[in-house]
This record gives sequence, structure tokens and C-alpha cells, in this order.
Amino acid sequence: MKPMFLPEVEANPQASPVTDLIRIAQSNGAEYPKIWHLFGYRPEATAHLGEFTQGIMRGEGPLSSGIRELIAAFTSYHNDCPF
Amino acid sequence: MPHIQLAEGLPGIRSLFVFRPETAATLCALADVLLHAPGTLTPGERELIATYVSSQNDCHYCQTTHGAIAAYHLGRNDALVADVKRDFEHAGVSEKLKALLNIAGKVQRGGKNVQPEDIERARREGATDVEIHDTVLIAAAFCMFNRYVDELATWAPPEIPGYRERAAHVAEHGYLGIPKAVLAHAGNKP
Repeated sequence: MKPMFLPEVEANPQASPVTDLIRIAQSNGAEYPKIWHLFGYRPEATAHLGEFTQGIMRGEGPLSSGIRELIAAFTSYHNDCPF
Repeated sequence: MPHIQLAEGLPGIRSLFVFRPETAATLCALADVLLHAPGTLTPGERELIATYVSSQNDCHYCQTTHGAIAAYHLGRNDALVADVKRDFEHAGVSEKLKALLNIAGKVQRGGKNVQPEDIERARREGATDVEIHDTVLIAAAFCMFNRYVDELATWAPPEIPGYRERAAHVAEHGYLGIPKAVLAHAGNKP
């Protein structure tokens, strides 16, 4: 996989659930999305992003989770972000 | 006029916090970590990054409020905030902050604009990986906040009165108390 701009982000994961996932993927030689490193680098900030995403995507609301994921996928497609 | 029915008299994102308190708490918690919590970049520098991105996105509410918070942190220096918005490369800020503002500006323009030379410039000026990381996250988060505020056409008064007191309060106390404060304010309305 292509290295990230900031090697320290990959080299210094902090204790977090996603860091455990990274270790499992690496020990199995599996590919994994590098956004995991962002979530594992500054968990004190990114934990709020995770919570926000959970709330906006899965929290109570009139739009079904499927429709909400479609909106997210549509926006990401137009931002040219394949992940 | 806002595109959806929002509490009257609350400007910008504050009206949205009242509309959807479920998301307000996490957004304010994120803003607090990024802008207010202890870090190697000063709160003034981080607020300048937020203000610059908001001005590039032409978001009146965000650039005014965060510009006022930045000015408060920088010793009530409104002129410096204006200089950074107009032309940060020639403003009276450190070379490191200029390099970080350059990265923030690239993030504002789209998702694939930061180049290795932008990162190298920041490193050369002494920026750490955490500082570069946080700069990108502040810029990305403010693109979200700016669009959230403007694409729902929230109301905000054109002039600054009132912003100044709130800016001083946020600069001193951070962002965590905002959701509760705006809900209490909205609850007091007839």
C-alpha cells in the first residue's frame, strides 16, 4: 500500500479499538483502509468523529439508514473518494 | 431566510445546535479538541486556521465568530486576523503557521490538493506530524461546519456586536458548554 504523507501517523498508533483492528490486519498480511490510522492516531479527536458518524448515520431520524448511506456514498463519489 | 424552520434569534450554527441537539454535543466536543484543548499550536493559531478556511469558503458567520475568538487569543489583534484572511503569506505570523495555512488552503480547495512539497515545507519550518494532522482535520472539519451553516441558509447579523462577548467567553471556556447554553437560551423564548 502507498505510504501516507505523515509516517508518524502510521508508526505511532495510540491505544484504541481501531488500533487493535490494524494489528490483526497486519499480522494476517491483510489490506485495510488507511483511514484506520487516522482514527488510531488522535483518538481524543477522532472518537468524536466516530460518535458523530454513528449519530448521524444510525441515530433516530426519519431517513432510513440505507438512504443515509446512499447520501454519504453519493457525496463521496462526487468528491472522488473511493473508500 | 433559513431553508428549514429554525429557532429565531440564534445565529449560524447555534440555531442548528438547537434544531438537532443530538449532533451538537459531538460537534462541539470535536471543536473543543481541535481548537481549545491544550496542544503545541496555540488556540490563537488554531483559530486563525479555522478563520482562514471559513473566509475561503465565504462563510460569514464562521469567519466572523472564529475571527473574533482568534483576535481575542492574539491580544485583541483584529488587524492580524484581517491580514491572514487577505494574504497570510505576508501577514505577521510565524513561517510555520504560514506553511500550515498553505496546507489548510489546499484542503479547502478539494480532497486531493495537498502535495508532498506542501508537507515538506511545513516540516522544514518545524511543524510536527501532529500539527500537520490537526491542521488538515481543522480545515476539513471547518469545510463541514461552513457548508452546514450556509447550505441551510442560517441567519446571522451582518455586524459584530454580541459576537465579541461570546467570542471572549468561548476563548476562555472552550466549546463544551455551548450545546447546553444554546438550548437554555432557546428554552427561554416564548
